Amino acid sequence: MNSISKYQLAAMLLITDIFSLFCTGGSISLVTLGGMLSAAGVQFLMTLSFTQYGGIDTKGQKALLLVYLLFFGGTLFSSLWRTGSAIYIPYEKSLGLWGRLLTAGLIALVCLYSSSTGIRAVSRAAVIAAAAGLLCIVIDFGSAVLNADWGNISRPEAHSYIYEFMRGFALSGGLGSFYVLTGKIRGSRSSAAAMYFGAKAALTAAVLLTALSVAGGIAGITDFPVITAAQLSQPFEAQRIDSVFLVIFVSFAVFAVTVQVMTASYLLKELFPGFRRWRSSTVTALIIGAALLKSGRELILMRAAALAALMLLTVLSTIKNPLPEQADR
Amino acid sequence: MKERGLLPSLDDSIAEIRRISGGSSDVLINRFVTGDIHCALLCCEGMVSASVITELIFEPITGIEKKNSPGELFHYISEELLLSTDRPEVNDYDTLFRLMNSGFAVLLAEGMERGLAFGVQGYASRGVQEPSGEGNIMGAHEGFTETIRVNMSQIRRRLKSPELVMELFTKGSMSCTDMCLCYMKDRVPQELIDKIKSSLGEMDTEAVLTTGYIRPFVENGSFELFDSAGTTERPDVLCSKLIEGRAAIFLDGVPYAVVIPRLFCESFQTLDDYAFKPYYSTFIRWLKYLAFLAAVLLPSFYVAIVMYHPELLNSTLFMLLVEAEKKAPLSIATESLFVLLMYEMVREAGVRLPKPAGGAVSIISGLIIGDAAVNSGLVSTPLLTMTALAVLGGLVVPELDPQITVLRFAFIIAGGTLGLFGISLLACAVLVNICATEDYGFPYTAPLSPFRSSGMGDTAVRSDIKKMQDRGFTVEEYHE
Repeated sequence: MNSISKYQLAAMLLITDIFSLFCTGGSISLVTLGGMLSAAGVQFLMTLSFTQYGGIDTKGQKALLLVYLLFFGGTLFSSLWRTGSAIYIPYEKSLGLWGRLLTAGLIALVCLYSSSTGIRAVSRAAVIAAAAGLLCIVIDFGSAVLNADWGNISRPEAHSYIYEFMRGFALSGGLGSFYVLTGKIRGSRSSAAAMYFGAKAALTAAVLLTALSVAGGIAGITDFPVITAAQLSQPFEAQRIDSVFLVIFVSFAVFAVTVQVMTASYLLKELFPGFRRWRSSTVTALIIGAALLKSGRELILMRAAALAALMLLTVLSTIKNPLPEQADR
Repeated sequence: MKERGLLPSLDDSIAEIRRISGGSSDVLINRFVTGDIHCALLCCEGMVSASVITELIFEPITGIEKKNSPGELFHYISEELLLSTDRPEVNDYDTLFRLMNSGFAVLLAEGMERGLAFGVQGYASRGVQEPSGEGNIMGAHEGFTETIRVNMSQIRRRLKSPELVMELFTKGSMSCTDMCLCYMKDRVPQELIDKIKSSLGEMDTEAVLTTGYIRPFVENGSFELFDSAGTTERPDVLCSKLIEGRAAIFLDGVPYAVVIPRLFCESFQTLDDYAFKPYYSTFIRWLKYLAFLAAVLLPSFYVAIVMYHPELLNSTLFMLLVEAEKKAPLSIATESLFVLLMYEMVREAGVRLPKPAGGAVSIISGLIIGDAAVNSGLVSTPLLTMTALAVLGGLVVPELDPQITVLRFAFIIAGGTLGLFGISLLACAVLVNICATEDYGFPYTAPLSPFRSSGMGDTAVRSDIKKMQDRGFTVEEYHE
């Protein structure tokens, strides 16, 4: 793997997190925002020790990370299928399961090609995709704000703070890639982490507040409030732009999965150096298999628990075996 | 041809030359006696100037007084007569033929195992003319020609710095084509020059007839849609690239220079940008970016939106399109592909046909495609308008025409089969491909990604020359 900049790392991880945010199901409220921001804060604190003294060196750590990456990759595909009812992909509904598999296959194909070009190419592309996506989000959600009812902000919460905290914790599935990729960045790892979590908090707040103000009133009957908010945007009187959201959604899905495939494939190479060919294809097949096992369930608790376990193990391993040479460079 | 030393006997040497050349009619051998020694002057017909050879070689050489040995004769000619500024020595038949076929006259003498060559080139060549492919309003109207020495002189005339280095060498086992590696030694990274030389060292082609023969050797080997090595036919443009620390390769017989490395943003820059006011240049630059996007994506977006996402259209436009498309017998994607294929055929015919027949192509394309196809209902007017706009957009960025042409077709197929979902997937793949394009560690997408704010002054906008003059920019800033 070649080195990348902290901006490129942040772009790749933010794309993954924003895609997860798009796919967030169920009702949202201000408590959701609070839970998600505090989860991000806790995660930042938990990664700090790793960025200072940690490293992914032992086979056990690598194997654990690989399993997590496959699990999270499956979650991304599963989210894609789950949102199929809200996002219009021309053939998907008419073909049923085969339609879903075709969607997954096409995305997997692009991911395989992307991962074959290497981390530098993907990270460069991710920066452009993130910038273009951000612009589209601003336009899309900006026009949604025109129809916003700011009274929705204070609507009563549907879930407890603990649940929202869990949901926020599960949202940062890209942290698995973070542990692998921080070893490849140029410059300070701590500042890279700070930048990523800071940008994530700002984006999450902006998207959730807009979604809340626009779709808060119908949050009880909508499956995906963030997608609904984007679809309700109507900058002109007789024109909708929700199809444009599909472009951002698909692009983010491709890059989110590609990052998981690349990092998992890298770990596979580290674990089995003799396994050279078909690594990315194997990883992609395993990810799709994981998605089929999840069969469209959100499994927030399981995702949050898996990520928490991974982070705790990383923290404990760092405390037990600090690596001074891995500190900020 | 094996490198074989010249034979001392003039008769044997001439016989050997006739044998190697197969008695070719254009090898001229003039035998004469001067200084009481039997000599022969060899040249290739059509490659030398008859008047120059008569005035500068024959007249002084035939009047030489008696010399004691051929060595003394050669020393006198070489050191005292100074017949030509370019006087390389010839020690073998390989060199003899290479020089003779490059417009040199070679003098052989009885008893000598070496010859003297004189540069008396006089072959017919095209003069310096305005470049046909890179139009310019305010800049110079000179372009490169097919003669490598003329091209080198055009650069030297504009860059008088001693830091400008031009290294001549030959490539092609059959063509022995003269090539020149050109760079500013204080600006270009030495590593880049070493790598280019190493890449060119791997070249083992029989002939080097156009820039396409060397580009695969100096470009990244992986599959790239876009060219990471550029070309230019303008000396002024090349000078600006050399000052920015790039290297260039000239090729004898080709009026283009290959520039290494090339960046994506350069396809949208012209020398005119620096002749106009910054606000206007910035406007023109953004116009080109939009034209590029329209050229690639407009027909595919039209197809995808009309076929799968009509909610994106306002009601008036929607009704207008429904009215137009319901008369067309083909599906919108097929119709779009058909119109674009027609255009590509017309364009190709226009390029390849003799000029007098060009008018006929215009009439056929204008009448048959533009009028009859629409009137017959085979093609709808809105689709033809979209296609025309896309084609027009492509003409704004001629450097990227091959990529635009192919991508336009690919995006139409993606949009026609999978709607915006397909366009998004293909866009991601193309974006990754562009970002993967790099040459010798110089990313094609710089300074956009990897982002370099210092490069934005001449990419997103065109800053004032006063601001840019102290920048001391070289392309090494983008190296990864």
